Amino acid sequence: MKHQLAGKAFHSEFLAAVEKHCEQEISACYQCGKCSAGCPVFEDMAIAPNRVIRMVQLGLKEDALKNEMIWCCAGCSACTCRCPIGIDLARMMDTLRQMATHDGVPMPPDGARVFTFFQAFLDSVREFGRLSEVALMGSYNINSGRIMTNVVKAPWFLLKGKVGIIPHKIKRTDRLKRVFRRIEEIEGS
Amino acid sequence: MKFGYYPGCSLEGSGAEYAHSAEAVLAALGVELEEVDDWVCCGATPAHATSHLLPVALSAIACAAAEKQGLETILTCCAACFSRLKQGNHDMQNDPALLAQINEIVEEDYHGGVAILHLAEVLVRRIGLQAIQRRVRKPLTGLKVACYYGCLLTRMPEPLRIDSLEYPTLMDDLMRAAGAEPVDWPFKTECCGAALTLARGETVVRLSGSVVEMAKDCGADILAVACPLCQANLDMYQSDSESKLGRQLGIPVLYFTQLLAVAFDLAADAQCLNKGIVDPLPVLADRGLIETGVYL
Ligand code: SF4
Ligand code: SF4
Repeated sequence: MKHQLAGKAFHSEFLAAVEKHCEQEISACYQCGKCSAGCPVFEDMAIAPNRVIRMVQLGLKEDALKNEMIWCCAGCSACTCRCPIGIDLARMMDTLRQMATHDGVPMPPDGARVFTFFQAFLDSVREFGRLSEVALMGSYNINSGRIMTNVVKAPWFLLKGKVGIIPHKIKRTDRLKRVFRRIEEIEGS
Repeated sequence: MKFGYYPGCSLEGSGAEYAHSAEAVLAALGVELEEVDDWVCCGATPAHATSHLLPVALSAIACAAAEKQGLETILTCCAACFSRLKQGNHDMQNDPALLAQINEIVEEDYHGGVAILHLAEVLVRRIGLQAIQRRVRKPLTGLKVACYYGCLLTRMPEPLRIDSLEYPTLMDDLMRAAGAEPVDWPFKTECCGAALTLARGETVVRLSGSVVEMAKDCGADILAVACPLCQANLDMYQSDSESKLGRQLGIPVLYFTQLLAVAFDLAADAQCLNKGIVDPLPVLADRGLIETGVYL
């Protein structure tokens, strides 16, 4: 796909900021495309992982932070393990998601759904210390206004005793809440 | 032999059959497990996707508790817990400044003295294939098993790897020791679609469907997995894949520990064969490995 550069803002400091955050030499990528060739989700995406890297190299901050690829990345690390020069691309995807969230960049609809899921998951961990699958489904459905696809399969899950109904709770939840708070303070979100 | 044990959230919920079968198999091999005190969730993908420090801090809480209990190891079953804890622990062990910062955040004094292990490597490398072979009571003769490793179990940075990146064999070795016939197939480490159900349900159907289809085309009777998310995606979406592909697949998806429990002839509540959506009983009964009556 041709990428139109005319009229775009170039942020020369963006590349350095990403490189520092993910501790990867993004500028060394020579666009061989091997990462994209092995990426399981690329087929359903408009933008390939190596294009995201190129956007970072060029300082196209808006494009790099608002595309669906960074949110639909499954975190499988196929790209990372196959890059001939050892760039941890999966880690860069983490960095871009974190930057997009931190800067309040408007998310594509897929991104918003994934982000809502991440929030619901971490809310359960913060509250109970463990993931409650039932609480997760419930809070995801409320916050996204969309029934979790898995719920369609829920009768099966319940029938087979696949989903724990009672959330397990750890003892030291106070400490855990302090841990979450401290990290938020440090990372400034 | 004794190990620290971190069950993980999925094994307390939708992956309970993995926990039951793994614990029973280890007990049958004379292994003792001591659960890590008050362990917390590893944070899985949501933690590392949204924060740099959170996944390491969550790993630190489990590692510090184990160290205090005098445990030198933490055994994990879930591939995601294994990957997160091992990565976080490794980062702390190799970066004193990070270790100090994390200790302050989690109010602990962890020294980095714990090793994170996965059940498959413990079975193959610590207990040994011979001991496993000796424990087999009902060899899985004639059962063709496609071992599916997914992403998280093997795709680690170089020093952390427990198996080959592109063609892992740990589970295949275990299945062979149990008398089964591991299938030689090319999709051992293809992605199942992970948590993409939310953003892109059709992507999960495409990915999980191609894995199951390849297993079938390579002659497998059954798929063996080591991750609750892989299990759910391959099993739950199989009917959707069947409608999409216009062909019948019908490949049951079991944890490799359930198959070991069958080979060891352990009790029905260790095998948990009634939990899957694609019913494994017909193929297992056909090979004379189970009496279906037990499950009715
Ligand atoms: S595989 Fe590595 S070098 Fe090749 S395009 Fe991807 S990130 Fe760049
Ligand atoms: S980690 Fe993300 S970008 Fe890399 S191959 Fe997997 S899905 Fe694609």
